[in-house]
Amino acid sequence: MKLRDVAIGANASIYLRMNFKKIKGVFYPRTEQEIIDAIATAHDGGYSVTPKGGGSGLSGACTGGNIERVMISTLQMREVLTISKDQGYTDVQPGATPDEINALIEPIGMKFWVAPSSRDIASAAGILSTDGGGNDTWVNGTMRDNTIRAKMVLHDGRRLTVDWNGVTSDDSELEAELNKKGMTISDVASAHGTLGFITELRVKIKPFPSEKLVGGLANFEDCNAMGRALSELIKRKSPIRYGETVAAAHEDIREGLDLPLLILEFPESFASELKDILDYSDLDSEGLAKMKDVRIKLPKRNPNEGLQVALFEGYGYHGDILVKMQDAIDEINNLLMRHGFVPFARYGHAPSKWYLGDNTPAYGVVLHSREIKPEDKTSREMLDTITDIVAKCKELGITPKPEHKWPFSDEEKKTRITELRKVMGTGFNDFILDPDGAYDTLSSLV
Amino acid sequence: MESCRLSYDRCVRCGSCITFCPVFEAIGEEQYSPRGKAYLLQVMDLIEEDKELAKEFRKLLFQCTFCGRCSEICASDVDLLKVWHEQRGKAVNKAPEEFEYLDALGKSLANMMNIYGLNPEDRAEFWLDELEDEIPGIADRVYEEGKTADTMVFLGCLMSFRASQMDVLRSLFLTLEKLDVDYLVMGAEEFCCGHPLHLMGDDDGATKLREHNKGVMESAKAKRVITCCPGCLIQISTNHNLKEDVEVLHHTQLFDRLLETIPKYKQEEKFSYHDPCELHRICNVKTEPRSLLNKMGVEFEEMDLSCCGGGGLLRMTDPDLSDKIIQIRAQKEHLGDRMVLTCCPSCREQLLGANLRTKDIVEILAEALEGGEK
Repeated sequence: MKLRDVAIGANASIYLRMNFKKIKGVFYPRTEQEIIDAIATAHDGGYSVTPKGGGSGLSGACTGGNIERVMISTLQMREVLTISKDQGYTDVQPGATPDEINALIEPIGMKFWVAPSSRDIASAAGILSTDGGGNDTWVNGTMRDNTIRAKMVLHDGRRLTVDWNGVTSDDSELEAELNKKGMTISDVASAHGTLGFITELRVKIKPFPSEKLVGGLANFEDCNAMGRALSELIKRKSPIRYGETVAAAHEDIREGLDLPLLILEFPESFASELKDILDYSDLDSEGLAKMKDVRIKLPKRNPNEGLQVALFEGYGYHGDILVKMQDAIDEINNLLMRHGFVPFARYGHAPSKWYLGDNTPAYGVVLHSREIKPEDKTSREMLDTITDIVAKCKELGITPKPEHKWPFSDEEKKTRITELRKVMGTGFNDFILDPDGAYDTLSSLV
Repeated sequence: MESCRLSYDRCVRCGSCITFCPVFEAIGEEQYSPRGKAYLLQVMDLIEEDKELAKEFRKLLFQCTFCGRCSEICASDVDLLKVWHEQRGKAVNKAPEEFEYLDALGKSLANMMNIYGLNPEDRAEFWLDELEDEIPGIADRVYEEGKTADTMVFLGCLMSFRASQMDVLRSLFLTLEKLDVDYLVMGAEEFCCGHPLHLMGDDDGATKLREHNKGVMESAKAKRVITCCPGCLIQISTNHNLKEDVEVLHHTQLFDRLLETIPKYKQEEKFSYHDPCELHRICNVKTEPRSLLNKMGVEFEEMDLSCCGGGGLLRMTDPDLSDKIIQIRAQKEHLGDRMVLTCCPSCREQLLGANLRTKDIVEILAEALEGGEK
């Protein structure tokens, strides 16, 4: 074993303590052929393959669990291959980040409009695998909405291309069977790397809108009031170009903020209508940039004493629960405190959009969460807490965004993935579909 | 050590540091990234019994340029530079036999008080021989017991002994003379500032050197100390415990302060400015070098605020990696067709080693003050 077999485990989730001896190979390919060669090595050895992008996700999917596996990183596949301004797309290698893509296309007046907080490191293929989004998902959609096609390699080396019309492949039988199943980009989205290795993506790029945008900061009595305002914004299909909330923050990182708050960027022409919906104060460009910076750095900060963890991410408040956000947050906070955790931060995208397991779009608030970890918590106790949170979310009608929820807790998605893998073959991130829900595996990694 | 442990435990492994790390850029594997190294520390209890892994990790700690960019970018406020520094010290103490290649440096510093192991008396010999005719009276500027001056010039080992730094020295002294600065050079009484030992995690070993330098500076009644070397600047300003009323300045800071206007420099080629990591990121000297260039009317392109590959002892600990870093930068930033301006002798050595053309800012300053002749 070498350190490269250990360091490949570095990722932003709470799942980090692996049995490194089960990592049977680590590859950093630069080309599609090198990916194919790496997968062939895994295939010959009978090992599962875990694709890894930037490792900024919080689901733990890029850990590969604790089965014998080969890890394939896309950190050295970050090139933008072609740009078509006229047709509005760019072809990118799987490891290209939104920031890297935009650094190349912004000078020609175009932008790739997917902006997760981790856009400096999150890879394009990783964002599709979690169907991630960001502060402008409300207006620009999630990664699936911005993906035109994905090229993939399967465990046995067969190649296929998936787009919104279906699948093409040199293997006509595979192509026919997957098309019979109706496979599209929606299936690859949020599959957490279980279907195959993405080798290239064609993603949408669009010009900057010509509208003049202005900024605003709104404060609310509590999150119920904020939820009502957001509900109205959603009902009116408001043209919010950037919407983020800091709903709660521990005093160590609060820095005088009046919470809950909403940071909004919108067309100047919408300002008067927005005043009808909520009270806000104007933010000039400097003030807006400052608030965006506060928001983006918040999740990475630590308390003065102890350490923060992200037990569970992407609480999706939509429908009836949106206007009762504060009540739901209070219930979850009580649950956390009963388990000994101190609520540390609540922040997220508002308004936002995400997809449920059956591919139905949901509109509401995606609230992220951080807690202060008690020193004496065992990994099993931590996972038990998460299990209770999942149960509480189900009870309250909170639907975790696929970016962060465990796909194995989403029965519809799990069933669909299993169905497709019967045709495509297995061999990728198999631990996620373990019959035990990967609880045992994950608890060993905390 | 507990505070250090808490510090790397605070890393949330977000990965924002990865793309800024010059070592990661050169090699492209996670273990070379700051996140990878912090993660290895976080799971060290799972692997430390494997002697080969522990050995590999100790080596990895010295495959770092200490540019500090990871510390700067870290939103979790992990003082990664401090972590790497403490871990290096721990590594050398734990397995000194793995760092025998550093022994020669340690012995040179212990016995000759310079990194080259040369006779300390020669510190002022090489450049005096070269410059005495050109700068009359320069020999009188060399410190001897009983001499005093407002400004003490601390040259550092590179500037004292390397022929490749002679043009910078000449320009430095010419400029000091031109501006009527009351100065002395420490000469044979200058000991290494201790920066190399600091980078090895051995601050105790540097104490004797620092105490000597402090004594000389106090004896000369210097009100300020200037140096061209950002590494020396770090050590003198933070670890020499000089009296509070003694100012420690980089040469660009002094000249920017003394010169409100400067004759326009007759520029005939393309310039890029490489900002030394230790200067701008650790010493927080950012505006003065640029201010000087602007006052001279110099047009220049800003280079990426990344390391040249010469920091953190990397030239000694992994010269191939060090070369690769500067080669990548040279290609990416098209440095082959231009003059690279900087203000650090170590960066200059690294650039020269890659066959790039480079000048210290003080070289073109001296030219501008002499009427803009090139």
